[in-house]
Amino acid sequence: MKVTNKLINDLAPREFSKAGVIWTWLLIIISVAGIIAYIDQVIKGQIVTNMNDYALWGIYISNFVFFVATSFVGAVTVAVLRLTNNSWRTPIVRIAEIISVAAIIMAGITIMIDMGRPDRLLNLFIHGRMQSPIIWDVIIIPTYIVISLLLLYFPLLPDFALLKKHFKKTSPKLSKWYGKLSLNWTGSADQKRIQLKSIQIVAFLTIPAGFMLQTIDAWLFSTLFRVGWDSTNMGAYFISGASVAGVGALVTVVYVIRRAYKLEDYITDYHFDKMGKFLVLTCLIYLYFNINEYLIPEFTSKKEEITHMNVLVSGKYAPLFWFVNIAGLVIPIITLLFKQGRKPLPMFFIGFLVVLGSWWKRYLIVTPTLLNPFLPMEGVPEEWHHYFPSLHEWLITAATLAMALLIITILVRYLPIIPIQRTADEQKLLKTEKNTEI
Amino acid sequence: MEDNNKNSRRKFLDKGLKLGLVTAIGGIGLSKLANKLNAQDNEHSGEKMELMTTDGNLIEVDSSEVMEMVPSENEEEKYNLREGMPNRKFVMVIDLAKCKNALKCQVACNKHHYITGDHAWLKVYKMQEDEDTAPYWMPTTCMHCDHPACVTVCPVDATFKRRDGLVLIDNERCIGCRFCMAACPYSTRVFNWSEPGQEITLNMNMEMASRKHNSIEYTGMPSVKGTVDKCDFCPHAIKENKLPHCVTACPNGVFYFGDKYEDTVTNGEESVRLSKLLRDKDGYRLMEGLGTKPSVYYLPPVDRLVDFEDGLENFTGYKSVDKPE
Amino acid sequence: MSHLNKIRNVFSAIVYLIFLISGFQNLYAQDAEKNKVRLKADYVKIMDGEVYFNLGATSRINKENVDVANIELTISNEFDDDEIELGKVITDMEGRAKFVLKNLAAIQPDSTHTYNIVISFKGNDAFTRASKSISFKDAIIKANIITKDSINYISASLLDAQKDSLLSDRLLNVQVQRLFRPLPIGKEFNSTDENGTILVPIEEGIPGVDGKLTFEVVLKESDDYGTVKALVNAPVGVPIVEESTFDKRTMWSPRNKTPLFLLIVPNLLIIGMWGIIVYLIVNLFKISKPKIEKNENI
Repeated sequence: MKVTNKLINDLAPREFSKAGVIWTWLLIIISVAGIIAYIDQVIKGQIVTNMNDYALWGIYISNFVFFVATSFVGAVTVAVLRLTNNSWRTPIVRIAEIISVAAIIMAGITIMIDMGRPDRLLNLFIHGRMQSPIIWDVIIIPTYIVISLLLLYFPLLPDFALLKKHFKKTSPKLSKWYGKLSLNWTGSADQKRIQLKSIQIVAFLTIPAGFMLQTIDAWLFSTLFRVGWDSTNMGAYFISGASVAGVGALVTVVYVIRRAYKLEDYITDYHFDKMGKFLVLTCLIYLYFNINEYLIPEFTSKKEEITHMNVLVSGKYAPLFWFVNIAGLVIPIITLLFKQGRKPLPMFFIGFLVVLGSWWKRYLIVTPTLLNPFLPMEGVPEEWHHYFPSLHEWLITAATLAMALLIITILVRYLPIIPIQRTADEQKLLKTEKNTEI
Repeated sequence: MEDNNKNSRRKFLDKGLKLGLVTAIGGIGLSKLANKLNAQDNEHSGEKMELMTTDGNLIEVDSSEVMEMVPSENEEEKYNLREGMPNRKFVMVIDLAKCKNALKCQVACNKHHYITGDHAWLKVYKMQEDEDTAPYWMPTTCMHCDHPACVTVCPVDATFKRRDGLVLIDNERCIGCRFCMAACPYSTRVFNWSEPGQEITLNMNMEMASRKHNSIEYTGMPSVKGTVDKCDFCPHAIKENKLPHCVTACPNGVFYFGDKYEDTVTNGEESVRLSKLLRDKDGYRLMEGLGTKPSVYYLPPVDRLVDFEDGLENFTGYKSVDKPE
Repeated sequence: MSHLNKIRNVFSAIVYLIFLISGFQNLYAQDAEKNKVRLKADYVKIMDGEVYFNLGATSRINKENVDVANIELTISNEFDDDEIELGKVITDMEGRAKFVLKNLAAIQPDSTHTYNIVISFKGNDAFTRASKSISFKDAIIKANIITKDSINYISASLLDAQKDSLLSDRLLNVQVQRLFRPLPIGKEFNSTDENGTILVPIEEGIPGVDGKLTFEVVLKESDDYGTVKALVNAPVGVPIVEESTFDKRTMWSPRNKTPLFLLIVPNLLIIGMWGIIVYLIVNLFKISKPKIEKNENI
């Protein structure tokens, strides 16, 4: 149980290197640019976007769906792996929780950007109707934010106590903050009992909450008549897609942090191998859903479905469609099926491809369907027959992604990325086992 | 001694935090309860009204502060605006056999609702199901469905279904999420992406300037940035026993309008029993299979009085609103 | 006369001429600038009810017929070479006005029992003066419902009020009062027979509030009797059955009529999850206050 000095020195948060500082400033600049663009949008109205009465939702919504999907990583990594006793998850759980928190907070902010009257936000609470899927979303997102924060916080308590001592001499102010956040953690039996029980409960709670979050997000589309959205498959499809996006994001972020903080001893090739297998499993399930979603309409060939499918497979959106499915899904699967593909560096590229594919996949869910309404598009300007985001939309969307990365960066800066106390406990456990073997 | 101080501080903090938590939860609970009770109240109270002052400025006033001082023509609302006119169920019948794409309906609707955007509320589609089937002109308005998909998905009750069949929008409450627009299969709703710019046209109408109105029954007067608009079946006209503007503007008698409970519809010239009209001319509704139960019936384009091609000269595929010079 | 004088004379003559001509032009232009107003008037009498005149003013400006709003029209009764003013009205935004008399006793007929009414407009800066006269005699319609062989009929007779004589071969319209336009029943033209009466069967199944219907028997815009309308109330209609789902709990009702399933299940889920969350937060507080008695063991 005693935490060695080596452990603390390796895992305690450190000041940023030059690269880290530049990285942070870059994110801040992008965020500020987006905020300025958003203020312009509030003043002029959403006419600054390229949305119109047919493409009535654009990348604000697809970006929102992407954030919601990525936030599933907490439920999947921390909770599901915990329940299935996959003990290799220890070094990566905190990163997973951090990504989860960042993504779901940004999801809540991103959806407000799409509102035509953000000044009437309170109407959602004063006049909310339980019949509306948006209200279900408004309920589940704050719930999931709180649950994710608790899931992040409870395991941090012993680590905060350790860090308070570690920084006492070098940075007393920081030490004081760690002390406050540690909630007087002394490691007493009582505290441990309460903490472990709480972690068990919150980890268990994350699963239904995460499932509900993804399902409600899917129901924002499948409760409507539109072609491509009116699918009984949507709930399961989104849960599977969220697993892919979440684990993909996890792999990418873990690799970067590992390199930046030189954590090769703690996050080893073995962990990447395991993550790779997990990612390929989620991708295979998602591939199965995609085949169901895209192949069957071709079979029955209903008029409206075929128009929609043609646009995706061979029409305007064909390059994007094939990129998303081949580069974003098939190539990762093939690569990850081989042991060589599950080494850290290839996995970083695969993870990045998966995330990129996930983001554009949500664009493919939103826009082509909206541009294929039941009645022909007549009586509106020719520009309305197409949609590509405007500069304002790109700036604002880039800012939300930058803010998500900023949250992750700040949390990584001040939180121990790998759970210190838990790692120590596990190492002691290993030592004890070894001892008993002899 | 120090320990005692620590203890008392701890106890104080402890009690303080507990009290704070209870108060917070209690407060939230009470406010939620108050809202629930409020919500069950008559929706009319606490409504805001938009008034235009004599120099053309729009101000917002709580309806309880406004006194009735108008001549008997503008009667006090005899019914709750969200509930609608009692004993009525408004329907429209559109006779596709008579439509020549004259577009007078669209022009009248655009004019009387001061539409300034690029998207008219009433559109006449050039329809042809298949190469071998006959082409025809199809005017569409909001269908005022009995199972409205748009109302179901509105998160804040800004769009609602009335007892008299009308589906209306409260522009003061709409948050601009556009979920209703995504839900509508008839693509009939339009969004105010920017300031509507109605100042000139609204100002010039003396009648609007001198009368007070509510945004619910006077859609588009004014339109509000960041909210949704659509055809409203002209409640401001029908409550004075006048037909909607599209009905009176059509030179070919295409639009019939009436009360389903009275089983009578009229296009201004001829009045017929609705049930007889639908039975004799095989009336149907658009996208019946979706289960939206629209209030607009169509009479198929048989025994056409006019050739389809005659309407092509008026056809502007990319325009539905004439902009002022 | 000297040359100069002659020229001066001619010059002044020309100037005078020019003035004269322009003067005439002016006068002529004044009149030509004003637009002509056309008045129309319809006399309507409701049996056992009011008598009124539907007035309208239009003008042809730039080859278009335009309603003339906001002008004052004077209605007078022409009687024995006298014009007795009955009242004034101002046209509305659509150029229309309605002038109501309580009944015909308010005006005097001439020796032939014809009422002569003049509607005049004295003109303003934009429009010329105009007037319209209409003449009509008083007619009476007596209408009621009779039932023969369990079929309901509207029976109506048309009489000249003064001579009390039946008028035959006149076209009467029978219709049911509805919200926007009345619903015609019977044939398009119901001609009064030699007894001045018509008998029109009422078709089955006309709906009305509580089954009550109001029938109108109308002599429309006849040259000599104007428009005469008789009303008959009868509960021969089918009662209206309300189809609205407004009072029910549906997916599209306002929030005070949420379906019970959506009230119960989501709230249970919310209370369940947030209850656990509150419990966890309480645990955080519990952790932050370790009991002093216990030994600390790191």
